[in-house]
Amino acid sequence: MTNSTHNAATDVMESPLHHHVAHTNAVDAGVVMTEDKFRGHLNLRGNPQDADFMAAVASVLGMALPTEPNTSVRVNGFVAYWLCPNEWLLIVASGAQGQVEADLRQAVADKGGNQHIAVTDVSSGQTLVNLSGSGLAQLLQKSTVYDCHESNFPAGKVVQTTFAKTGTTMCKLEDGSVDLVIRRSFSDYFFLWLADASEEYGLRIA
Amino acid sequence: MHHIYCPYCEETREEEEYSYTGEAHIERPKDPAAISDEAWGDYLFFRSNPRGIHHEMWYHAAGCRRYFNVTRNTQSYEIHETYKMGELPTVTAQVPTPAPKAAQQGEAS
Amino acid sequence: MSQVNRLATGGRIDRSKPMSFSFNGKTFQGFDGDTLASALLANGVGIVGRSFKYSRARGILGHGAEEPNALMQLHTGNAAVPNPRATQVELFDGLVSGSTNGWPSAEFDLMEWVGKIGGKFMPVGFYYKTFMAPQKMWMTYEKFIRKAAGFGKLSLEPDPDTYDKINAHCDVMVVGAGPAGLTAALEAGRSGKRVIIVDEQNEFGGTLLANNQTVDGVDAATWAEQATAQLEAMSNVLVMPRTTAFGYYDHNFVCALESRTDHIGPVSASGSRQRLHRIRAHQVILATGAIERPLVFGNNDLPGIMLANSVSTYINRYAVVPGNRCVIMTTNDSGYQTALDIQAAGRTVVAVVDSRHAPDGRLVQQAKAAGIEIMTGHGVIEAQGSKRVTGAIVAPLDAAGDTLTGPGKTLSCDLVAVAGGWSPVVHLSCHTGSRPVWQEDIAGFVPGPSIQNQHLAGAVTGDYKLSQALNAGVQAGAAAVGVESSHVFDCGDESEGAAQALYLIPHTKPISRAPKQFVDFQNDVTAAGIELAAREGFQSIEHVKRYTAMGFGTDQGKTGNVNGMAIVAKALNKSIAQTGTTIFRPAYTPVTFGALGGRDVGVLLDPARHTAMHPWHLANGAEFENVGQWKRPWYFPQQGETMQQTLNRECLAVRNSVGILDASTLGKIDIQGKDAREFLNRVYTNAWSKLAPGKCRYGLMLKEDGMIFDDGVTACLSDQHFLMTTTSGGAAAVLGWLELWHQTEWPELEVYFTSVTDQWATCSFAGPNSRKVLEKLCTDVDLSAEAMKFMDYREGTVAGIKARIFRISFTGELSFEVNVPADQGHYMWKKLMEAGEEFGITPYGTESMHVLRAEKGFIIAGQDTDGSMTPQDCLMGWAVSKTKSFSFLGERSFTRPDTARADRKQLVGLKPIDPTVVIPEGSQIVMDPNQPIPMDMMGHVTSSYWSECLGHGIAMGTVKSGSDRMGQTVYCPQADGRVLAAQICSPVFYDPKGDHHND
Repeated sequence: MTNSTHNAATDVMESPLHHHVAHTNAVDAGVVMTEDKFRGHLNLRGNPQDADFMAAVASVLGMALPTEPNTSVRVNGFVAYWLCPNEWLLIVASGAQGQVEADLRQAVADKGGNQHIAVTDVSSGQTLVNLSGSGLAQLLQKSTVYDCHESNFPAGKVVQTTFAKTGTTMCKLEDGSVDLVIRRSFSDYFFLWLADASEEYGLRIA
Repeated sequence: MHHIYCPYCEETREEEEYSYTGEAHIERPKDPAAISDEAWGDYLFFRSNPRGIHHEMWYHAAGCRRYFNVTRNTQSYEIHETYKMGELPTVTAQVPTPAPKAAQQGEAS
Repeated sequence: MSQVNRLATGGRIDRSKPMSFSFNGKTFQGFDGDTLASALLANGVGIVGRSFKYSRARGILGHGAEEPNALMQLHTGNAAVPNPRATQVELFDGLVSGSTNGWPSAEFDLMEWVGKIGGKFMPVGFYYKTFMAPQKMWMTYEKFIRKAAGFGKLSLEPDPDTYDKINAHCDVMVVGAGPAGLTAALEAGRSGKRVIIVDEQNEFGGTLLANNQTVDGVDAATWAEQATAQLEAMSNVLVMPRTTAFGYYDHNFVCALESRTDHIGPVSASGSRQRLHRIRAHQVILATGAIERPLVFGNNDLPGIMLANSVSTYINRYAVVPGNRCVIMTTNDSGYQTALDIQAAGRTVVAVVDSRHAPDGRLVQQAKAAGIEIMTGHGVIEAQGSKRVTGAIVAPLDAAGDTLTGPGKTLSCDLVAVAGGWSPVVHLSCHTGSRPVWQEDIAGFVPGPSIQNQHLAGAVTGDYKLSQALNAGVQAGAAAVGVESSHVFDCGDESEGAAQALYLIPHTKPISRAPKQFVDFQNDVTAAGIELAAREGFQSIEHVKRYTAMGFGTDQGKTGNVNGMAIVAKALNKSIAQTGTTIFRPAYTPVTFGALGGRDVGVLLDPARHTAMHPWHLANGAEFENVGQWKRPWYFPQQGETMQQTLNRECLAVRNSVGILDASTLGKIDIQGKDAREFLNRVYTNAWSKLAPGKCRYGLMLKEDGMIFDDGVTACLSDQHFLMTTTSGGAAAVLGWLELWHQTEWPELEVYFTSVTDQWATCSFAGPNSRKVLEKLCTDVDLSAEAMKFMDYREGTVAGIKARIFRISFTGELSFEVNVPADQGHYMWKKLMEAGEEFGITPYGTESMHVLRAEKGFIIAGQDTDGSMTPQDCLMGWAVSKTKSFSFLGERSFTRPDTARADRKQLVGLKPIDPTVVIPEGSQIVMDPNQPIPMDMMGHVTSSYWSECLGHGIAMGTVKSGSDRMGQTVYCPQADGRVLAAQICSPVFYDPKGDHHND
């Protein structure tokens, strides 16, 4: 299915973490969690050595896909994460994923259509969570084996790694906070872990 | 706990991100029907188990989901090199005292 | 009770903060800054426990991690902690402590008499020899041994504390904050690189805190404080006291246990009690120091016999003198320092007994000048006393220390301080596989060559001078960050006399007849035991270790190993370098299971994966089953129902009207690319070239050995776009499998795989009324039997949501699967429940699903197959294409002789002869239940259920040549003696023609 339009009615749509918003909020929370829910998530595959493919994608996104490992590009509400040499995660506006997918397919077709690509809507299968706060650094140390120190994980860097006993794709933002992509089926576990591991800092759901 | 350089992510990552997937450079016979049961059995079941230099495949399961090759010493657990699928090792048992690739092991990051 | 051994001044204790604590029920006083050991010694407590095997009275030997005897039982109730060393327990007000053993008390112990009487009859290897046979009696023996042996007791209640783990990364990791560690960390820290320095003690400084030397003119302890403050002021340096690096693993991975609240109270008021740090370091500096060795002589385990350096530490750091009249037994100059310390503390030095004939170091001169009695060329051959040392028998030795050259005499004393030389703490360096090397000039093992990025500094290298330690630290720190440093410290500690390599002091009687000469105090290993092991033919040091238990357990041979190895070497007429050493393993000191578990306990032990409809299942009383990490509804009991009643109701609803199942957990892989069909041809047994868009096909996936690995339905969404489903537990493995073949063997195929398991919520509803339910919600797809056939796929709108609709069946009934983006899955489920209400739509769980599919003879990969079943074994030859040009995965193995064997186990149906019987799954199948045991087992039952719709039990199983045995009766003998008979039949019990799902 190429264009899954979302009905915005609240009783129809449920984000993976929707039932955790009523969590007790600490006053001086050292960790703040914000779910950036219902964003459009598209998994994109293609050959970065193929100039036509890169040009086609750039024409739709208004930016070139990142080709350096572990990097991201962010323009006009589009975010592209490098996942592997021929795989990217595109995060687009809520509900826009169907149109972007169609535009990508069209742009590739316009280039001759022989490019080997794949576009897959994964918007419902994962969610974007932002973590920030004074306790963030230590919380990340508790949660992931990746070295999240500023020197190793600067703004814009994207890393796929472990998070507690599940996995995540995480991106450091300019403000020092971290965006995490969490798989839907693991989101309850993720939240239980987060609540437990951030206990000493205090957790607030924004 | 191993610390393994992923040739696709171009970073040294913790062992938790990876899984070991067996000996490297085992090629599937091009025409399975044409080979003997014995040759097929060798392909299926027989693996080298050297003490020392070994070429093995690892899967960056929690990372980029790429398979790649590792030249590892099974005695000391020293990793001499990692290289992409389709590439050949530069360190082999015939070259017994390889110099560790310090840059690849992320020493001077 | 007054602190009889406490000095009025000095030490690093705070006399303004008295602390009350109890030991074995008695209340004592100590001060802030004390360890439990220093406080016990201050109060004159001699016996702290009983020994492991002989139940001998034991006192405190050391002052740190090396302590073998003073294992404590701390706290009470659920906070109880077994076996910490008193020397490592910081005192706090209200601390409750006790000995870990001794009955009725450690002071008066009945088992000691057993030990004394039985001593002769409990030689080394006693347990191996005595409890060998008969084997079935071992359980009985074990109970007795467990009761008699062992140390502390665990609480059986849940631990009230929390624990956690942290992953840390640094450029330089410094282990040990003694003189070498401190200068190493300072030097590395100045570079701006990330440095972590840990030390097991509450204060940094190590030996600097307990000696009276100076560093560059500053009092040593003061210098340590200043250095620590400098480190703490560096933002790039993490300073961690009370943190023990207990394991050093491959590629410079260090595990360290931080004790966060153990020094405050029995239970942590907030936060974690202990934290496990998992540290990946680019460079590791081991500044682990050295441990003083005791000497082996008769009754050398009596309370009041201590390590000389520990006596000095108690005096200088804790202001405690653990005796009044002290004999010092030494083989080197360091014993003289202890003599000087004791004298300075105002107690009596009876004599320094030095095995060397002509010692002449600076400290020796000082002791002479202080008027201390020195007996050169002598050794303490035996200690006297019962509960405490009361005297030392001293005799002259030859120059080599091998032979007594004259009669002994007794020196009256209540403290014997023993200085047998030093053993570098090589434990951590060993953990990564480096073998220690014997260094003759220091009579000790030092770390051997390492392939880790590792540096050594200080006493661990066998260089025991303070200035050398400080300077070596500077050099190691500089090397670790790649700079050069020329800083040199001056401590005025030159000219130490040569030490003598002496381990066992001879007795007038041979080893086997002398009073017990202990080597390993914690494991009660004696010189006689080791000699006996050598006599009995054990030559490898590793075997001697295991036979005698030397260096076992929490002690890890810290004080005893080198002495033991020297005795083995001598018994075998070899050098220590030749016999070598055993290798130390993690953990250096014990680690709590709590810390190893961290936060991964309770609900966090393993992730529980939930579907979008999980809240509905919870609200509607589902019982859950674990499928991989998924929590799937198992069945939905209504009030008053038994599980079987629920299953009967659920299954009949599907057969007679409509039931609904949450199938979201099935693995889903999106496959795109022009070579997708070719790829499917290669990984599946059947053919995919002609599957038209809008059609689905069941596929079997094999490993190369021809055995079933996974199965599922794959839909053709468009010509180059497929959706593959996998088993719920197999999704990740299948995706990895597809990627493996694509990346390693067939990269030329243009195809991409993306997991969409979590993207789609799947509502599967089955039963004769399922079409009617869907028709109420979906108007843009022709759902008629003619237009949408079995195994068809359509896109459409269901309840206003764009959906993927599949007409597939795992129940044998007319059945549809509606996939919607998971954000809308819960809503879709509720809409289907509403629409189905008039038909009595019934939610059902995995158990009913299993019954329904078993009635149809559908296998579950992983339940009816176990990695040794081919498609043919499962009667699924119909799913294997014989016309594909490419030799698909596993095909070649079909003709291997073993795979082609006629008598392989094959899948069969089993109909119990007694229709009310449900044969337990896993039951073994035999042809003749009356044959003698062991019976000839023909196979086993893989699936078995009560079928309400058929009115009898049904089962599937594997039986040798099962396909040729149709109609035969087989038997399933049970553990309770019953024998359940069944008739072999087709596994398709229900609707064998498939009329229902084709409706």
